[in-house]
Amino acid sequence: MIIGIDEYSDVPIYMQIRNQIVMGISSGELKPGEQLPTVRALALEIGINTMTVSKTYQLLKQEGYIMTDRKNGARVRENITQSGVISEENKLQLRRIVSEARLSGVGKDALKKLIDEFY
Amino acid sequence: MTWVIKLIMFVCIVPSVTLMYMLGFSKNPGKKKMIFGVRDNPKFHKGKGLEKFEAIVASARKGGLIITAIVVILSVIMLFLPVTGGTLLAWILLVFALFLVAVPYGKGNTELKDLKKELGITKSGVTYTDLSNASVVHALKLPWIILPNALAVLGTAAAVLIDLGVFGITPAVEKYALTVMSLSFLFIAAIIIPIAVMMDNSRNMVISRDSNINANYSRAKKKTWADLFISFSWVNALYLIANNVLMFFTDSEAAVLISTLGYTAVIMVVVVIGVINQRQVEGRYERDTELELQDDDDNWILGMFYYNPNDTRLNVEKRLGYGATVNIAHPAGKVIAVLTAVILIVSLILIVYLNATGQMEASDMINLP
Repeated sequence: MIIGIDEYSDVPIYMQIRNQIVMGISSGELKPGEQLPTVRALALEIGINTMTVSKTYQLLKQEGYIMTDRKNGARVRENITQSGVISEENKLQLRRIVSEARLSGVGKDALKKLIDEFY
Repeated sequence: MTWVIKLIMFVCIVPSVTLMYMLGFSKNPGKKKMIFGVRDNPKFHKGKGLEKFEAIVASARKGGLIITAIVVILSVIMLFLPVTGGTLLAWILLVFALFLVAVPYGKGNTELKDLKKELGITKSGVTYTDLSNASVVHALKLPWIILPNALAVLGTAAAVLIDLGVFGITPAVEKYALTVMSLSFLFIAAIIIPIAVMMDNSRNMVISRDSNINANYSRAKKKTWADLFISFSWVNALYLIANNVLMFFTDSEAAVLISTLGYTAVIMVVVVIGVINQRQVEGRYERDTELELQDDDDNWILGMFYYNPNDTRLNVEKRLGYGATVNIAHPAGKVIAVLTAVILIVSLILIVYLNATGQMEASDMINLP
């Protein structure tokens, strides 16, 4: 799976990595149980501090997307807990996106089509 | 026998300056990803950008060609001059003159950066990383590089033991000459191994959305580097041993000079083959390149020196020529840059001093039969 880091983005680098790994797991690009690079290897590849990658992995672990242990490093969780609800933070994000789309003249159907495409 | 000294210098200088010109000043810059260390941009090839772009490229290429031609012509002329302290100094200064080829390159880089601003080209792009390949793509097989360098260690150990009289045999050359010569080549071996490992562990390139293409591309590039360093190590080790044998049986400086000429020529051939292999890999994967890389041109001073405090890597891929260069913003990079500058300046001052005091004129090399 390819991830892209935009240094000029307002989104912090650890969050950019986190978001793309989550999208990768969701789309199936990262399979359940798939090994992720070690903190050091990923930091070296991107050219960032190991603390940044460590922060990403900690966050992903807290959110239940990956599991880490000393022996096997980081892996995508085999069974990700499905709560069936959208978090308040994501609801706010979605609301912002819908609002901006409406203001830009994007119709409801076009938005639904986009959701179908991404889902 | 002084013609051998001249040939050694000629073999070092002429291929190096020609390679530098060919690599820095491409015939078709519009088809390259980088022009004078600046990322190519579609705005360079249309409207008012095109005219200025072509003028900048033509001016830099002309400058590069003139300097290259001067260095080559001077080298040819020097071949026909007798070796004196003055001409030896001139030969060494010609080696330093190789760096002058980088001047029009740096000028082209600065002018293209200005053109970018003029055309309103803003920084864009992202740094791509392939999660599947991170730290798993390697091409260097350690035993293959350790073996020749272990031979070099054995050769040096033998030289030291002979000079210490452990074997009870006396070489034809003066005492400790074998040790000094062996240690100088062992020093090269000691530098090759960490550089080879560093190149093999360097960041994997991401040129495509397909992880297999990225892995193959990175592996192919690393393989050419591994082959180059392994070949270099074998040439170095075999020369060290052959030279020891030669110096053990004969005290002929002429024989040593001729073998040094052979060593230099073989090293140049190895380097040229390495560059050709790298170019072939680049050419093979050119059509697979689909990702726009991050615009970090501003981190490249004159398109040659990488300075990026936000990048934690020590070594990055070069923009002028092939290989890697250090990130001068990295703590170790600062030390390496300062040491390199000091070594270059001190050696230049030392050479001029030796010549001014007549010590170069009196050297054994010049007074060979």
